Amino acid sequence: MPRLSHCQAILGPELFSKLPSTRVLIVGAGGIGCELVKNAVLAGFGDITLLDLDTIDLSNLNRQFLFRKKDVKQPKAIIAARTVSAFNPSCKLTPIHGNIKDPEYDVTWFKGFHIVLNALDNLDARRHVNRMCMAAGTPLIESGTAGYLGQVQPLLKDATECFDCVPKPTPKSFPVCTIRSTPSAPIHCIVWAKSYLFPQLFGEDDDASDLDAAAASGENAIEIDNLRQEASAFKVVRASLLSLDPTDVASSAIFTKVFTHDIERLLTMSDMWRSRKPPVPLDRDSILAGAFSLLPATVAPSAADASAKHSTTNGSQSHSSTKLKDQKDLTLRDNVLLFDSSLKSLASRLKLGREGKVLAFDKDDDDALDFVTATSNLRAWAYGITPLTRWEVKEMAGNIIPAIATTNAVISGLIVIQALQVLRSGLASDGATHISPNTPKAVTPRHYPEKRLLAARNVFLQGGRPSVPLGSFGTVPPNAGCSVCRETYIHVQCDPGRVTLGTLVDAVLTAEASARGREERREISVYEADRVLSEPDWDENLHRTLADLGCGKGKFITLVDEDEVVGNVALAISESPATHPLQGLPYRLPVDIHPPPLRPARLPRSSPPSSPLKQITSPVKANQKRLLADSEIFGTPVNSSAKRVKTTHLVTTLNGDAVDADVDMMKIQIGGAMSPTEAREAQTLEEEGLVMVEGPAGF
Amino acid sequence: MDPASTSKSEQPDSHTRRYDRQLRLWAASGQQALELSRVLVISGSATSTSILKNLVLPGIGQFTILDSARVTPQDAGNNFFLHRDSIGKSRAEESVRFLLELNDSVKGTADTSDLASILDERPQYLKSFTLVIAHNLRELTLKKLSSILWGDISGPPLIVVRSAGFLAEFSIQFHEHTIMDSHTDDIPSYRLDNAFPALAKHALDLDFDALDVTDHAHIPYFVILVRALHDWKQAHGGKAPEYKQLKDFKAQILRMKKKEDEENFDEAITQVFKAYQKTTVPSEIRALFSNPSCVNLDESSSPFFVMLHALDLFTRKEPYTLPLSPKLPDIKSDTVNYIHLQGLYKAQANAEKAEFTRILEEVVAKAGVAPVPSSVIDEFVRNCHQLKILKGKQWDQDDNSALLEAIATNPAQVGTHLALSALFAFEAAHKRWPLPGSEADLAVAQEWIDAKLSAAGWNEESVVQDDGTQVDEAATGPQSLTFREHVSNAMGEIIRAPTADLPTTAALLGGFIAQEAIKLITRQYVPINGVCVIDLISSTTGTIKI
Repeated sequence: MPRLSHCQAILGPELFSKLPSTRVLIVGAGGIGCELVKNAVLAGFGDITLLDLDTIDLSNLNRQFLFRKKDVKQPKAIIAARTVSAFNPSCKLTPIHGNIKDPEYDVTWFKGFHIVLNALDNLDARRHVNRMCMAAGTPLIESGTAGYLGQVQPLLKDATECFDCVPKPTPKSFPVCTIRSTPSAPIHCIVWAKSYLFPQLFGEDDDASDLDAAAASGENAIEIDNLRQEASAFKVVRASLLSLDPTDVASSAIFTKVFTHDIERLLTMSDMWRSRKPPVPLDRDSILAGAFSLLPATVAPSAADASAKHSTTNGSQSHSSTKLKDQKDLTLRDNVLLFDSSLKSLASRLKLGREGKVLAFDKDDDDALDFVTATSNLRAWAYGITPLTRWEVKEMAGNIIPAIATTNAVISGLIVIQALQVLRSGLASDGATHISPNTPKAVTPRHYPEKRLLAARNVFLQGGRPSVPLGSFGTVPPNAGCSVCRETYIHVQCDPGRVTLGTLVDAVLTAEASARGREERREISVYEADRVLSEPDWDENLHRTLADLGCGKGKFITLVDEDEVVGNVALAISESPATHPLQGLPYRLPVDIHPPPLRPARLPRSSPPSSPLKQITSPVKANQKRLLADSEIFGTPVNSSAKRVKTTHLVTTLNGDAVDADVDMMKIQIGGAMSPTEAREAQTLEEEGLVMVEGPAGF
Repeated sequence: MDPASTSKSEQPDSHTRRYDRQLRLWAASGQQALELSRVLVISGSATSTSILKNLVLPGIGQFTILDSARVTPQDAGNNFFLHRDSIGKSRAEESVRFLLELNDSVKGTADTSDLASILDERPQYLKSFTLVIAHNLRELTLKKLSSILWGDISGPPLIVVRSAGFLAEFSIQFHEHTIMDSHTDDIPSYRLDNAFPALAKHALDLDFDALDVTDHAHIPYFVILVRALHDWKQAHGGKAPEYKQLKDFKAQILRMKKKEDEENFDEAITQVFKAYQKTTVPSEIRALFSNPSCVNLDESSSPFFVMLHALDLFTRKEPYTLPLSPKLPDIKSDTVNYIHLQGLYKAQANAEKAEFTRILEEVVAKAGVAPVPSSVIDEFVRNCHQLKILKGKQWDQDDNSALLEAIATNPAQVGTHLALSALFAFEAAHKRWPLPGSEADLAVAQEWIDAKLSAAGWNEESVVQDDGTQVDEAATGPQSLTFREHVSNAMGEIIRAPTADLPTTAALLGGFIAQEAIKLITRQYVPINGVCVIDLISSTTGTIKI
C-alpha cells in the first residue's frame, strides 16, 4: 500500500495528484513555519520553497521542533529544510535564508507559486507579502498566533478581503520629551534605554533627525535645544568608551553624565517641574558605598512598598523559590553593578569590532538586555518610577509574545486545510493552475462521497469559549476602499536602467485610454511608496530612468488620478526574465490593460503634495483611514467587521491577564494615569498592534 | 559583591531561556508541574506522536508510548516521527527515539507489551501515571481501560481521542479536577465597601481641599470612593447608600471635583458599584466549601482541599471575606499615589495571608498531612476568588436525555459523535473496520446509529422546532442541515476512509489535546468538560455534554 494512500482517499485522486507539482511558498520557518512545512510535506505537497531570514535562538526550542540545541545560531530555513528532507527525501524543498522584502522577490517571483502560506511574526512583512500576492494574483493563506490564540485567513485578490482591508493599529510612539525628559511610566524608561541611550553609546548616531522632527511637530523648543547639547556631549563619552582603559573609568564617567549631570541639567528647567515631581540625580559613589538615600519627597509614598520590594542598601532580599532567577527584584546597587558589568562587556565587544562598528539592541543578547535593564531601572529610580525585573524588562523591550507548541500545531494544521480548500475550489472551477475567484461564502451541501466543494473559511482559535475552541466564518469580500487590493496592478517587465519613468507612464496611460476608446489621457501624479515622483505641473523626473529614480525591481510605482475619479494603478516592476529577452524594447506590458475602476465616492481624498521636495504621506496611507461606517456605505457585510472585532477582543481578554486592550490603549494615551503593571500589559499588547503574531520578532 | 557575579545572577539559565515564551503563560509553578509529570500514550499513531511532540517540547517529565505494533509503510508516510528505515521495527521504540531528539531533558520509554494483558495482569501500572491518553483504541479495550482508571478515585485522568479523516472528537474522564489558577476574568473584591483600617485611615486623613489641582486629579478612585462612602454614612446615620440613592451618591462624588475634567472622579462614578456592593464570599467559592473532600479531611487529602478547608475557616471570622488580593487593577493615578495604595494593599494582604497560614497550620496538624509549601499557599491565596472544582464523568456513560438535548442545540456535533461511535461499535461487533466506501458496511453503521437514537427516545417528530433563537453557526455547521443530514454526512465521510489518520488532522489534534493535557497537569486554565467534536471540513468545533 502506498505511503500516502490515506491522503489520497480523503483528498480525492484529482487534487491529490496535483499536490506533488503544486509550487508552495512558505514565508517564515519559526513557530508556525516549522509545523507548517512538516504538515505540507506530509499532506503530499512536493515542491516547497521555505524562506526565513532569522537564525535559531535557544528560546525557539520550546516549540520550533525542527531545531536542536546544536543548531542554535544557524539559519532557520536551511536547518528546517534539512530536518524535513531527512524524513521525506522525495519532496523538493528549497530553503532560502533571506529577507522576503528583498527586491529579487518581485512580482514575477511570486507569480511562480500556486499558493503562498504566511508563517510570519510581524506586521511589516505580512503587509508586504499581502501586497505582493495581491499584485501577483497568487492565493495567500495568512496566519498568526499569540499565546493560546491564533487565526487563519485565506486571502485572494478580488475574491476575498486582503490583509489590509481592515486597518491594523500602528505601533504606539511617545513624544520625544516624554522619553528624554519627563518619563512617568516604566515603558518610558525602557524606550529611553533601548532606543536612545543604547544607540547613543553603541549604535549609529541618528539623533539629529529625531529632534528635527520633534521640533517640526511643535514640541518644546527650548527643551529640544537642551537635548541637542546633551547629545553632543555623548560624542565625548562614546569616545572614552573606546579609548579609556580600564573601562571602569569610562563606566563611571558615563554614569555620572547620564544619571547625575543630565538630570541636574533638567532640574534647572524649573518650568518643567511645576506640575510634576522632579527627578533626583543619582550619586554613584554613595550608592556603591550603600550610603545613598533618595530624597523623602520622591520615595516616601512608596515606603510601604520599598520595604518589601527594594531596600536600597545591601541587596539582601528574600524571594520565593518558585521565582526565576531573572524575576528577582534588583536593588539600586544591583543596578549600578549590572550597569558596570554590561557596559564593560559591550565596550569590549565594540572594541574587538567583530560585530562591526556598531551594536544593535537585541532582546536575546544578554549584555544588551542587562544594559537596558540596568539603565532603565536607574532612570526609573531617579524619577520615582517602579523599577522592574530583568524578566519584565525583556518582555517590554523585546515585545515578547508568549508562544507555545500547541497553538502553533493547531494553526498550522488549519493552514494546510485552508490551502487544500482553496486549491480544491480552484480545481472545481476550471482546473487551471491558478484558482479563479470563488464566490465568497459558497455554500454547497456536502454530498457523499466527494462531490462537495470545500469552501475556504476564516478560522480562529479562541481561548474565551473553552467549549468551542475553534470559531470560523466565511470569507469576506474586499473592502471597496482598500488601498492595497483595490488598486489595479499592472505587471511591468523591464530593464530599469533603460526605461524612463515618462516612457512607462506614457505607455500605460495610452493603453488605458485606447481601452476606453478615447484619445485624451487622464492627469496623474506618480508615487513610489511615500515619494512623489511627478505631478501634472512638475515633470522633471519623467526623463529619468527607473534605476536612476530608485524604482527598480520589486518596487511599485503608483499612478494617482488627479481628479480622483478612478482608483489607483500600481505598476509592479520586475526585470525581464532571461528566458524572455525584450527584443530591443526596454519594457513589456501585459496585453490586456484595463482602465482602473471608478473610485468609490465617499473615500477620503488623498491629499496632493504641497511641495514636490517634501516627503508626503503616501497615497496608500491616506486611503487606509477607513472608518468602520464605511463598511456599510460600501456594502461590505457589517457582520464580518463585527465578528472581527469580537475576535480581537477575545485575543486581548485571553492573553493571560484579563485586560481589555482597547480600553488600556486609551488609558495609556492619557499618560502616567495607570498602574505600572497595567501600563506594561497594555504596552506589550499595543506594540504588536493586536495583530496575532508568533514568537520573537526576527524580521 | 563582585560585579561579575551580579551580572551572571541576573541572567537566566538555559532552562529559563528555552522555556521563556511559555513561562510567560503558565509561570514557574506550571512548568514545575509539567516537569514532574509522567504521561502514558497508548498507540504510536501519527496523532499520538503529534500530541507527544507538543508535550515533549514544553518539557514534561517523562512519557511512555504503549504500542505492540510494527511500523508499516503507511505509518512512515503519515507520521513525522517515523522514518522509512523504521518500517518493520517497533512503532513504540522508533517514535520514542525520534521524539526524544526534541528535548534532552525529557525521558521517554517504549513499552511494546500488549495492553490487554496489562489490563488483566497489572492494572496498577496504568495508575502510576499522571495522565493517560488513548488514541483510536478499540472499543472493548477502551471500556476496560476506562473502567479500571475510573475505579480508583485518585487514578489518573484519561483523555480519549478518536479520529477518522477530517473528523475527530475527544473527551476527558476524571472524577474531580481542582484548579487553583483558572486564569478567568473574575475580579476579586477590593473591599471598598468596608475599607480595612489602613486604607480607611489613608482616605480619611487625606486633606482633599489642600491638594493642588494636579495632585487632586491624581487621587486614586479607590481613595475617593472610600472617602465618599464615609461622608455619606456620616450624613445618613451610618447607613450605606441604598440602590435608589445611588444617583445622589454619584452626585455627591461629582461635587468633590475641583475641575470639570478630573478623570479620577469620573472613574470613581463609573466604578461606584465597588463601594456599593457588599463584599461577601462569592457564592461559587462558598459552594466549594461543602464539597465532601473539603469537609472531611484525612491524611490523604490533597493540598488543594486542605487549603480550601482552611479558607472556609478563614471566612467564618471577621471580616467574613476571602483574603484580600494584593494585586490592584488599573487605576487613573500618578505613580507615587499608585505605589502608596499598592503598599497599603500589600501590607493588608500579607497580614491576611499570615492569618490564613496560621489557620492552615492548625488544619494541617489536625489532618496529619504534609505542610503546604509557602509558594503554593501564595498561589492559592492569590487566586482564591477564582478556584474551580470540575465534576467529571466516566467515559461512554451517555445519558439519553442529555443526548436529546444536545441534538437540539448541537446537531452537527452530535452527528459526528454518533458516526465516530458507530465506527468503533462496528469494529467491536465485527472484529474488523468497515471497508472504505462499502455501502453494506455503511448501512450496518447507520443501523447502529438508528438503534442508538431510538433507544434514546429520539424520532423525527421529536425535533425541537426552531423557536427563532439564534443558533450558533459552529453548532449547526455552516450549512443549515437537519440532524439526519448531519448524521449521514458524517457517516458517509467516515466510510470513505475509516482508518485514515491524516497528518493535518493529527497535527491539529496534537495541538488541541496537548493543550488539554497541559491544563490538566498544571491545574491552570479550565479544561474541556464534555465531548469536544472537531470537523475540519467545515472548520468547526463544539462541545457536547452527553
